[in-house]
Amino acid sequence: MINLQHGFYLEVANRYDTMRKVVWLISCALFLITPFIQAQISPQDAVPRYKIVIKGGHVIDPKNNINELMDLAIQDGRIVLIAKNIDAAQAAQVVNAKGLFVTPGLIDLHTHVFAGTEPNHAYSNGSSALAPDGYTFRAGVTTIVDCGGAGWRSFLTFKKNIIESSQTRVLSFLNIVGWGMRGEPTWEQDINDMDPVKAAEMAKANPEHIVGFKLAHFRDSSWVPTDRAVEAGNLANLPVIVDFGGDNSHAPLSIEELFFKHLRPGDIYTHAFTELPRRDPIVDLKTRTLKPFIIPAQKRGIIFDVGFGGASFDFRQAIPALKARFYPNTMGTDLHIGSMNGAMKNQLNVLSIFMAMGMDMFSVIKGSTWAPARAIKREELGNLSLGAIADVAIIGIRKGDFGFRDIAGHRQAGKSKLECEMTIKGGKIVYDLNAIASNLPARK
Amino acid sequence: MRKTYLLFLAFFFLVNSILAQKQQVLNLPYGIVIKGGHLIDPKNKINEAMDVAIQDGKIARIAKNIDAARGVQVVNATGMYITPGLIDIHAHVFWGTEPNHYLSDGMVGVTPDGFSFRAGVTTMVDCGGAGWVSFPRFKKNIIDKSQTRILSFLNIVGEGMRGGEYEQDLSDMDAKMAAKTALENRDDIVGFKLAHFAAPDWTPVNRIVEAGKLANMPVIIDFGGGNLSIEELFMKYLRPGDIYTHAFTELRGREPIVDVATRKLKPFVKKAQERGIIFDVGFGGASFDFRQAIPSIKDGFYPNTMGTDLHTGSMNSAMKDQLNVLSIFMAMGMDMPSVIKGSTWASAQAIKREELGHLSVGAIADIAIFRVRNGDFGFRDIAGNRQDGKQKLECEMTIKGGKIVYDLNAIATNR
Repeated sequence: MINLQHGFYLEVANRYDTMRKVVWLISCALFLITPFIQAQISPQDAVPRYKIVIKGGHVIDPKNNINELMDLAIQDGRIVLIAKNIDAAQAAQVVNAKGLFVTPGLIDLHTHVFAGTEPNHAYSNGSSALAPDGYTFRAGVTTIVDCGGAGWRSFLTFKKNIIESSQTRVLSFLNIVGWGMRGEPTWEQDINDMDPVKAAEMAKANPEHIVGFKLAHFRDSSWVPTDRAVEAGNLANLPVIVDFGGDNSHAPLSIEELFFKHLRPGDIYTHAFTELPRRDPIVDLKTRTLKPFIIPAQKRGIIFDVGFGGASFDFRQAIPALKARFYPNTMGTDLHIGSMNGAMKNQLNVLSIFMAMGMDMFSVIKGSTWAPARAIKREELGNLSLGAIADVAIIGIRKGDFGFRDIAGHRQAGKSKLECEMTIKGGKIVYDLNAIASNLPARK
Repeated sequence: MRKTYLLFLAFFFLVNSILAQKQQVLNLPYGIVIKGGHLIDPKNKINEAMDVAIQDGKIARIAKNIDAARGVQVVNATGMYITPGLIDIHAHVFWGTEPNHYLSDGMVGVTPDGFSFRAGVTTMVDCGGAGWVSFPRFKKNIIDKSQTRILSFLNIVGEGMRGGEYEQDLSDMDAKMAAKTALENRDDIVGFKLAHFAAPDWTPVNRIVEAGKLANMPVIIDFGGGNLSIEELFMKYLRPGDIYTHAFTELRGREPIVDVATRKLKPFVKKAQERGIIFDVGFGGASFDFRQAIPSIKDGFYPNTMGTDLHTGSMNSAMKDQLNVLSIFMAMGMDMPSVIKGSTWASAQAIKREELGHLSVGAIADIAIFRVRNGDFGFRDIAGNRQDGKQKLECEMTIKGGKIVYDLNAIATNR
């Protein structure tokens, strides 16, 4: 009995021991597999928090005065986090931006993209303009403004053919000429076709696309076209951008008068560094010094745009201007078929040229992001604030011996050159030069 | 008669070569002298350091040392490669604004000049954008307007690549009209294209080969989605000299050259190439897969021509441009002379334009100057697979017909 009892107790004790072991084993097992169970059932861990995380890059965001190493997370087409260290495991796709700069997608406020096949239509549904997407993303550009290709008569064709069929965000400076830049000799000289009321009406009817008015290529010695463009600007509360045409048969109109008497603060003067006989240059041709009224004009609020183009950038203007500490506000390229393969090439090349002349990286990025966004009154663009549209450029600085030219053929050596590694538009990777994004799951 | 012709020909070449060398003989200056580069000219089997002189739009002299003082303009090509201007036999440049016109006067194509020169390309063949009905418009809008030399593989479909049902319409595949248009436009048309046909039917192949025979020109085949046998295509239907593009495709509805089960090159593929079938890359937006290309190259099978299939769907994606395609093949193990041959002399021969794609004295001065950049680079295929590379080709300068049309770093002296 005792033995039995003893045996009973022993048995209980043994059972108790066994139970404890089992419980302990189960606990261990549960402890070990818990993370896996959670991984399978927890939605937070099953779906990555961010669509894209850009790791290890140096963020330059002039609006927010950021200029340091930062990671950046994108979700639902928006910037959702900028922080020193974002966990790569929380991203569906990771972009390795080590050694690269991360900036807002570039904005080029001077381009010619109203490409078309109409004979003799120049930059307005003609062959001197080019379709945007092959020229933008490879240079980090996500937004471009067509600079006067369309007027109010041709805008709807522009909208249908180009704005709506492009991946690039395409905006418009509407030409004050109803037919836009249909070219020489007559279309752009016709003062009767410069109707500020019609232009302003079209702009007000398309506020999501039209950001201002353009005057260009006018030859005669008359202020009427300028005043018509500004009138349209007043009617629509939008800026104007002026290519101050001219003609070799008469003395150029005074840019001092333009800046102080005709334009308003916020209006834009493009081709700032031009040196053509038909135009009044900002640097005096004899003394090679910046004219004294230029910096005061900029202080007054006149926006100076590069507008490099095929004939409008001259080192003999730009170098003395920069030495006098006069810098362009915006880095527009004047991209068209005559500049795409010439000295201009693309916006990053223009930025590199200004860096070769002494501008710093932060300033050239500001001139192609936040400054143009403000110039066209699109302050939702050109920055990487939380919640902003995820237009991002990832740019490398390549060191070496490079050369640049102006439109007169002068050469300028440079030691660094900007190269676009990746472009993201609205949260979508639209260009990835060296496959720096991690692979997505293989396509079936 | 034949003798007179031969004599005339010999005389012509003699005069031509004397004229080409008059700068040398008479000690006149050359328009351009390219100094210090490494010349790769596959036709003439040159692969060494050489200077090049250009005069009157032609190659005037190739020599170890041409005095820089003899050049009105001197190009410093030290550390760079000099090759014939590249020829892309598979591009889509019939750009236009017609709604729903796809690659035929529509917005899926690109205008050529912004894509060619920056990649060293001087000649592009539009690959089937235009058919005989739309060719006159292609000629007026694109060929006559472009700085790039634009040629055409005429689509066997009269309306060309208008997309959708247009390219499925057997009744619009008229071999006689296609051949007639080609013969009337010999300067521009170099052959015929069949593409995107989706039914298992040999009729379109037969029609296009008929056009090819009538015009004595090659055909280039994008073998649609009909799942027909490529062995039969290569051995029974195509002629030696005909071109098979999208060689490294791996898509449903198409038979691939590498067996998807064993991942080995199918045994008839090399035989087809030996028979004279030209294999073109035709990278495009959906037609290049490392799972096809890597086993092929491992097995010693290389593409003949390095066509890009440039269009809006490939320009910003894995393909980008012809130099990127060449760099990808170099990353997989092809050597530089081979990728250059595939984009110059082999392409010129494939389109029967043997005046192009080489730098013989007297040849048209179409030249690419590029640099091999060393570093850590990445490439992708259309399935998103990544491939590392240590080298990348970059275009420094492009010369078309003796004229500098692109100069990335201002390596030419000021004029």
